[in-house]
This record gives sequence, C-alpha cells and structure tokens, in this order.
Amino acid sequence: MLITTTNTLEIAEAISNHVGKNAALITIGEHTEIDINDLINQLNNSDIKFMGGLFPKVIHGNSILDKGIVINTLNNLESMFLVKNISTKDYTIPNVVFNKNQDYSLFTYVDGLTSNISHYLSELYENYGMQTNYFGGGAGSLSLEQKPCVFNNDGIFQDAAVFAIMKMSSRIGVRHGWSKVDGPFIVTSAEGNVIKEINWRNPFEVYKEVVEAHSGKAFTDDNFFDIAKGYPFGILKDDAECIVRDPLMVNDKGELVCVGELEDNTVVDILNGDEDSLVEAAKSAAEDSIKKASMPRKAILIDCISRILFLEDNFDKELKAITSTLENNFDNISIGGALTLGEISSYGEGFLEFYNKTIVVGLFE
Amino acid sequence: MKIENHILDILQLYEYAMAIGKSLDYKESCDLFLKLLLKRKNLNAAWILESKDNMLQSTYAIPFGEEIKVKKDDATSEFLDTIGFSKVITASNIVSSIAPIPIEEGKTAIFNLDAQGYLFLYSKKDNISNKDLSQLEPVIKKFTINLKACKAFKEQEQLLHNLEIRNQELSDYAHMVSHDLKSPLRSVDTLAAWLMEDNKDRLDDHCNTQLGLIRSNVEKMDALISGILNYSTIGKNQIETYKVDLNLLLKDVLNLMEIPSHISIDIPELPTILGDKYRLQQLFQNLISNAVKYNDKPKGLIEIGVEDKKQFWEFYIKDNGKGINEAYFKKIFKVFEKLENTQDSTGVGLSIVKKIVDLYGGKIWLKSELGAGTTFYFTLKKHKDGTA
Repeated sequence: MLITTTNTLEIAEAISNHVGKNAALITIGEHTEIDINDLINQLNNSDIKFMGGLFPKVIHGNSILDKGIVINTLNNLESMFLVKNISTKDYTIPNVVFNKNQDYSLFTYVDGLTSNISHYLSELYENYGMQTNYFGGGAGSLSLEQKPCVFNNDGIFQDAAVFAIMKMSSRIGVRHGWSKVDGPFIVTSAEGNVIKEINWRNPFEVYKEVVEAHSGKAFTDDNFFDIAKGYPFGILKDDAECIVRDPLMVNDKGELVCVGELEDNTVVDILNGDEDSLVEAAKSAAEDSIKKASMPRKAILIDCISRILFLEDNFDKELKAITSTLENNFDNISIGGALTLGEISSYGEGFLEFYNKTIVVGLFE
Repeated sequence: MKIENHILDILQLYEYAMAIGKSLDYKESCDLFLKLLLKRKNLNAAWILESKDNMLQSTYAIPFGEEIKVKKDDATSEFLDTIGFSKVITASNIVSSIAPIPIEEGKTAIFNLDAQGYLFLYSKKDNISNKDLSQLEPVIKKFTINLKACKAFKEQEQLLHNLEIRNQELSDYAHMVSHDLKSPLRSVDTLAAWLMEDNKDRLDDHCNTQLGLIRSNVEKMDALISGILNYSTIGKNQIETYKVDLNLLLKDVLNLMEIPSHISIDIPELPTILGDKYRLQQLFQNLISNAVKYNDKPKGLIEIGVEDKKQFWEFYIKDNGKGINEAYFKKIFKVFEKLENTQDSTGVGLSIVKKIVDLYGGKIWLKSELGAGTTFYFTLKKHKDGTA
C-alpha cells in the first residue's frame, strides 16, 4: 500500500486498517514531508507494532517516488528487534528459538551510512545461521549525510538496525549485471569502507588508468562520481556473481571511499555495465526468485540507488522488467520496496553479504 | 585452462593466506579465516572439533548452532581415523551427529588439524570439491599453526596473569606480616625500655645486660622486617626515572652512614645517570655498608669505581676486608643467606641489591680472596641518551 498524505493521524489509521493485528514494515521516501517522531507516537497510540526506514526513494508497483510511504504487512511475526551501536560493535544479537519444521524469513533495515555493517550481518548469521532467509537494505539519505534513518516503536535512530523474524517462507533473487573490464587487482590495504592501496600503489592512480582507458573520459576535480558510478569494484567469489563495491569519492590522499567494507588483500575486478546488462540482471533476479515460489502474496524490491543514478531515465526499464516478470507469474502480487544504500541477502543461502549496485527481489508467501 | 584462471586461483590463495596469523586470539583467528572462506566459496557453515579425554568438543562454530560435546564412540573414531589430511563426504549420520547444525543434504569437507582437532566446512549446495581440498591444503596447514600459536599465547597470558596475582598476594602478605609483626615488637621494645628506666636503681648489671639484649634483638627483628618489606616492594611499582648525579648521591649516602674513622673511602668522578634516587641510594648504601661491616683490617680501604662500557655502566665497590669464600658467591644474593650471624646483619641487604640491579636490566657479580678483600661489580643499562 502507498500512502501519500502527510497527516500522521491519517497515516496511522491507514496503516492500522491495512495491517490489522499484524506488524507493519514502513518504507518512507526521504523527502516525505512528515514529522517522523509524531508518526511513531501515533502508531504507538494505535498499538501497532512496526519497523521501518527512510530511503532516497521508494518503489510502489512501477513507480519510483521521492515522497511517499510504502506499507507492507509483516505476517506471522515471530519477533522484532532494534540493534544500536552498529559502528562500535557494542551489541548482542538476541536469542531466538526456531522451530525445525517451520520456514522463517528475516527482514532488516540498517543505517546504510554507518560502519561495520558486515559485522552486524556476520553476527546475525552466527546466531541464526541457516534457520532463516535473510533480506534487507541500507537506509539513509542520498545526500550521504548520516542521520537517524531506521525506526521502530522505540523511536528513530542512526548507527542502528531493525529486524523482524517472520514465520513464513520466502524466495530471493540477487543479481547485478556488472561485468569485468580489468583485473584481478589486490586491495593491498583497506580500512572499513576506504581502499587505501591497490596492488601496493595509490588506489586512485590504478583505478584512473583503467577507467579512463575504458571510458574515454578524463577524471577532473569534480566529476569523480559521474564516471565512477559506471565502474564499480567486484569482489571475486567462487562460482558466483562477484560482490559489488561502489566507489563514492576519492579523498585528498587518493584513497577511494566506497559504500560497504572491504578487507585487506581482497581480490577485485573493475567492472562496467550498460543499460541492457543491468536490465537483464534485474529480470534474472526476478526469475530466480520465482523459481521456487508457489503462492507469494507480496514482492519486496531492494534496489540500489546507484543503479538509478547510472541508468537515469532508463531505470523505468529495469523496474518494468522486474514487475512484468513477477506479474506474469503471479496475479495480484503487491510490489513495493526501496532504492537503498546497500542491499542485504544471503547469496544462494550461503553466508550473509552486503551488496552495492545490486537488486534483491524477495517474494514472501 | 586459461592462465587467467590460474592467476585467480593463486590470488585467492594469497587472500586466504593473508587472513591467517593476523591475531593471536583463537576466535578472532577463526573468524578472520573461516568467515572469508565461507564468503568466497559460498559455504554455509564451518566448525572445529577437538578430541579431549575421549570426548569430541566444538571449539569454534559459525553459525553457532548447538554446542558439540559428545563421546567419541567406535564408529566416530573409525570415521575420523580415515581422514589423512582431508576428505569430502556427502551428508551422513556420522557427520550429522558431530555437527552443530542439522545436516540433511550437501557436502562436508573435513580437514585433520592434528592436535588442533578437525575442521569441517559445510556446503548445502554441493559447491565443494576435491580441487578445493588440494587448493586449501597449504593454507589449512598455516591455519593449524596459527591455532597452535593462539593456544600457546593464551596459556602464556594465563600464566602471566596467575603470576601477577601470586605476586600481588605475596606483596600483600609481606605488608600484612610486616605490619602485624612490627606492632608487638614496638610494644616489647617500649616495655623493655620502661623496665630499664623505672628500675634503674634496682636492676643489677646482669639484668641490664639481658634487657639490653632484648632491645637489641628487637631492633634487629625490626630491621629484618623492614628489609623484607623493602625487598618485596622493589620492582612492584613503575620506576620513575630522572637524572641522578651519582657524586651528590654518594655524598648523601656517606652522610647518612656512620663510617668508622679507620676506614677511608676513595670515590672518583662519577657520571650522571637516569634512575630513581631512592633505589640507587639503597643499592650503593647496602654495598658500602657491607664493605664497612666486614672489614677486619686496622686500616680499612674502600674504593668505588666506574667504567663506561658503551651499552651500560660498570660500577665496582672494592674493599680490603675479610673476603668471601667462592662457595658463597651465588648464595649471598639469596634472601636470608648470610655469612656470619652478626647482630646487625639481616641477610636481606644483598638480595635487595640484586633485585635493584635486575630492575635496571643489569648484572651483579663479585671477585674475592679470603683475607684480602672483595670487589662487587654491577652494571646498569644505559638509555638511548647515554645515561643509565
């Protein structure tokens, strides 16, 4: 359901009517003109259990919106938690008892601009392992200024994550469509989300050589992201699509600041994509998700904001490729989601990963 | 196979190898290497089992799952014995019985880590092969050494921790004993003094001598307790170092001591060194005091000297006293070891000297000839700026 009113009382009523006694997943476009704390109070007054996040844009059906509130019902909620202090790793993942004969899905929104998100995902996997599917994305502002962006009944927080575990099966498709331009390279030194050295050299020098030669464009003082948005890094994996890391900016030391962390000695390629490969990947992600799905009631799309920045007006094609694939297979499926700062899922049910420039399609029964 | 694929395999090995040995903490080491392996190879779980007293116990697992602590029965022992270095097997009851997570499908790679147990890598999707085993062999061997080092480091840390506790207990005990022993001693001394004073006219010479002996022994006991206390506190606190002019220090030491008139002390120009005045004073005072105490010559000579040995200063204190039998050269630095049972000797002085020299990273030794005299040598390590 999409809510466009800015009256918090009306929003709370609409959410209450939509989810009934279930919990609500609330996905809000960052430019929506509402007082989020007031909305939280109204929802608490209405006795609604909820979690949500603020995102650069939200998805509803085939529409991409800067403003608006997308509501999804979190059926069969087992538990919902808030995790603070993601950057300092000063938290404990709560214990949950899983029934062996039950399918579970874990949905999480995390502050996409905080550090140590990989540690948070690792902690989730350590504690819950293969007992649940994982799905989610990074919240935050496209201005890249870190501010409170994830919320639940306790309030709105930055440097935090919210997650819900539901007794329901889900099917997930993950694709990006970027392919190798040059590599492999070794990230010989990295700290958090900053690449400090590639092949024992200044990382920008190495990156610049490859990207300028391939794109035919020259980096200037103010066009880094305009070019770099088409040339992400890919962390190599065995027999699977690489994990994309998005270079956001170059700092005054010539180090590359990315969305998402890299470790020392990570082996990477420099990637590039085009409209066709990205749209095709989005379609494949939708197809992967529907392979094992029987009767999904809703689809949640977690699509990276940098894909729209790269595809620009052609992003409609990507969204259409997903929605038409889903709608061709399942009548009346509700489709909603967000354009995020990083995407989360387990790759082929393996270890949990934080992606960039990727689309994750989740189908929930 | 394309050369590019070979390079990729090698680079992947490089990444794995570099993730090993970054930490000496067991869990952190496992996290760094095994989480990387899980990510890069798309695996689902990793765990380590160790065999202790016929039990198999999990020492690491990701995801945590259920802790494994099972008796190693014949079937499990037989199964584990078949693993030379590594093996890939399909899901089985045996593996399931020693896994922290339910295993119903997929493949498990098992590596024999010798004394460090067995490493299990589980893939639900069958994406682990014999090629992976061969590729991982060298890094798993390196990982085994890393785990061994982690345990050794932990044991060492535990030992140091225990030692610190024991030292603290001993120090507290010494303080307590000193305090508790000194209090009744002071009472005995006071009572003996009152007895002598109040009964000045009634006590005969014999009684006066006996009471004098009581007081003298009490004084000796008091000195002994102070010595023990001093000995136990040297090295306990951080040394605060500053420039100490040894010429001034020796002057203060000699002023504090009562040097008999028949003994002369020869002191050359001494250096200024970095140190703690109180401890250096104790060091020189104890050695000079011994040289004075055990001098039996009508004209006693004590000579203090120093030599610059570049990395350290070498000092000596030479006397023309009784000399020491070589059999006692090492023994005399031990607490309560004394050559003569004299009234004013506690047997702690040279132990304190040795402890101070040790504290400054130096050495102490002696040369001696019976009847001719003794020379004590000691070194004090120099600091970067040329002072000790």
